[in-house]
Amino acid sequence: MQLSRRGLLRAGLAGTAATALGGLASGCAVPTGSTGRNMVLWYWSGGLSDTVVKNAKTRYDSSVDLRAIQIGGQYRSKLITTITGQAHVPDIAGLKGEDMAAYLPNADQFIDLRTLGAEKYKSQYLPWKWDQGIADDGTMVGFPIDCGPVAHFYQYEVFRKAGLPYEPADVSKELSTWEAFFAAGEQLKKRIPGTQLLTDVNSVFENVVQQGSKRYVDKDRHFIGDQQHVRDAWALAVEAKKRGIVSDLVNGTPDQLSAVQDGKLPSQLGASWASFDIKNGVPKTKGRWRIADMPVRPANNGGSFLSITKACREPEKAFQIITWILNAANQAQGYVDAGLFPSTPASYDLKQLREADPFFGGQVTTDIFGPAAQKIVVAYNSPYDIALGTPIKDEIKNVGVLGKDPEKAWSDAMSKCRRIAKHLGVSY
Amino acid sequence: MAVIEQSPPAVAQRPSPTGPKKGLRKYWHLYAAISPFYLIFLGFGLFPVGFSLYLSFHRWDGLGSMEWAGLSQYQYLLSDSDFWNSIGNTIIIWALATLPMIFLAMITAVMLNSAVRFKNLYRFAYFLPNVTSVVAIAIVFGSIFSTNFGMVNAILNAVGIDQIAWLNTPWGIKVTIAALMTWQWTGYNAIIFLAGLQTVPSELYEAARMDGAGPVQTFFKITLPLLRPTLLFVLVVSTVTGLQSFSEPQVLLQTSSNDSTFAGGPGHSGQTMVLYFFQQTFDNNDFGYGAAVAWGIFLVVVLFSIINWRLVQRRGD
Repeated sequence: MQLSRRGLLRAGLAGTAATALGGLASGCAVPTGSTGRNMVLWYWSGGLSDTVVKNAKTRYDSSVDLRAIQIGGQYRSKLITTITGQAHVPDIAGLKGEDMAAYLPNADQFIDLRTLGAEKYKSQYLPWKWDQGIADDGTMVGFPIDCGPVAHFYQYEVFRKAGLPYEPADVSKELSTWEAFFAAGEQLKKRIPGTQLLTDVNSVFENVVQQGSKRYVDKDRHFIGDQQHVRDAWALAVEAKKRGIVSDLVNGTPDQLSAVQDGKLPSQLGASWASFDIKNGVPKTKGRWRIADMPVRPANNGGSFLSITKACREPEKAFQIITWILNAANQAQGYVDAGLFPSTPASYDLKQLREADPFFGGQVTTDIFGPAAQKIVVAYNSPYDIALGTPIKDEIKNVGVLGKDPEKAWSDAMSKCRRIAKHLGVSY
Repeated sequence: MAVIEQSPPAVAQRPSPTGPKKGLRKYWHLYAAISPFYLIFLGFGLFPVGFSLYLSFHRWDGLGSMEWAGLSQYQYLLSDSDFWNSIGNTIIIWALATLPMIFLAMITAVMLNSAVRFKNLYRFAYFLPNVTSVVAIAIVFGSIFSTNFGMVNAILNAVGIDQIAWLNTPWGIKVTIAALMTWQWTGYNAIIFLAGLQTVPSELYEAARMDGAGPVQTFFKITLPLLRPTLLFVLVVSTVTGLQSFSEPQVLLQTSSNDSTFAGGPGHSGQTMVLYFFQQTFDNNDFGYGAAVAWGIFLVVVLFSIINWRLVQRRGD
């Protein structure tokens, strides 16, 4: 067979052209959203209650065919790929709380829920959570699913043996400052050798930052990670290390889990969903745990939203479905099915949330999480927070795990932040 | 394909002024037959590669509009100490994994070559790690190298050595990842060495024995020189896989807390180049810079390929 180079080239070019044309043609044929009858909902495993989703399907069956799809793997990557590609975009999309900062600057890809009458529902939801779904320009992108109030999980017997307060009310009251909390850690270590209060310094640093109303980058795209609120959190984390109340273990490793199981790490500062991690990670500790308020004030960690994309053909219907899925009664069901702590305070009095939890010694955990959820303040969620918060968190981890000099670690973190800020166009 | 059946023989017989055109007309159905690969490669291989180059000159968060950035992403890349650190990590882990791996694979191959019974069973057993899921292996290695209850520390304690926080110290992390890679690839490369060993003519061994050479001398004077092409192949393949290591550190060093799964442990000690690329792209939503990092990785791989190639060329003379 004779095959000249030029012939091959031409064939290649013809092929390229054919693909390009074919690509264009099929690009037009791809459905860009619902046809009206079809209503596609994207969420992730555990993102919504499966019971509620099933009920919604039956409830709205006469008007729309609600197709709820659980998307596995890298959820955000898949969602932004379909939105950017403008093909097979879901009508209703779940948005994870930690990804909100990435979605909000692109609010024009979503339908402003205010135009659909969202204001009417505002009073039923936690105000800070409601605000987290709103972009800088006022567009309401996300409708609140759940929230993640942080509390102090501790092992009752260990605290009692160490001579510390052990009833939830006493723990909340007496360990209400970081100073008292650290002092308790020292007492614990003295009374029961080999025991440390917390797993790592990061749980101190990050929770202190989360308690505040400022993080690393402000609304004006200015770096504020070098200011007093971060320095204070840093100083507290360093102090926790110096006073020896943190372990050198890594969260979630076999070593850490066995230490938790043996009561050698009897305390954790975790969000409401952490109770499911504890139940799965160390099931043998059933009945030993109690929950109290965290020191100083509650913080939030996690919690997601539902949104309606620009591709949706029937936003009114979609909005009707969203508000039904996320009403107080269904959010209570979400708590039972998937551990989603409701963003609707009315749910806190429903019987699903008033049940005594044998894992926590029969405690009604809503007594702690419910009031905590209503006292949370949140910081501005900048799209640059992850890039500029990571170097600081990395360096405090180096202090905690590798024993790096805190002064050196802080200056390293700041010089790294300065470089990254410049690269991202954030003023320093 | 229905298209092929329609091709009339008359087309091929028609005289054509230029050669190439004639070839194209004559053989177009053959081109059509081989086109699926090229079309798929074009759509899923060449286009993304080209687009990533385009992307690396822009700033893009993945959703909004792209912003021209010129060469600034590359300028930043050159001054990015984390990127250089990740190159260093990758090379150190590669060296820690490859050198013992080649040594062990060679020994295993020689032993497999002389094994009399259960030959196939051994070969199967040695190959098994290579087809096991990296994620599963990493989880098991995470337990084996855990500080208080890991098997490795139990053995160290038994012989009177203090335990080491393998997954919490910069060198421990690198050694653990390297151990994992060694375990995974030794069997695979042993099979390749075995294939190489079997091409060595047995007359040479007979001649050597007649001349009074011992087994060690035979190995260094006959086996090793004749295995050189195989050795180079193994080296090239392990360079390519080693420079792309990603799942091993990712799974081994992930934690249940909020941290990035691409951070590579304390001090970024286990952050390889590809992990760093993922962190910049998917944690920070910095797709433009991610693309620039990807091209940086490409250049490093090209550099190593050239070194390998030169090595092959020189030895081949």
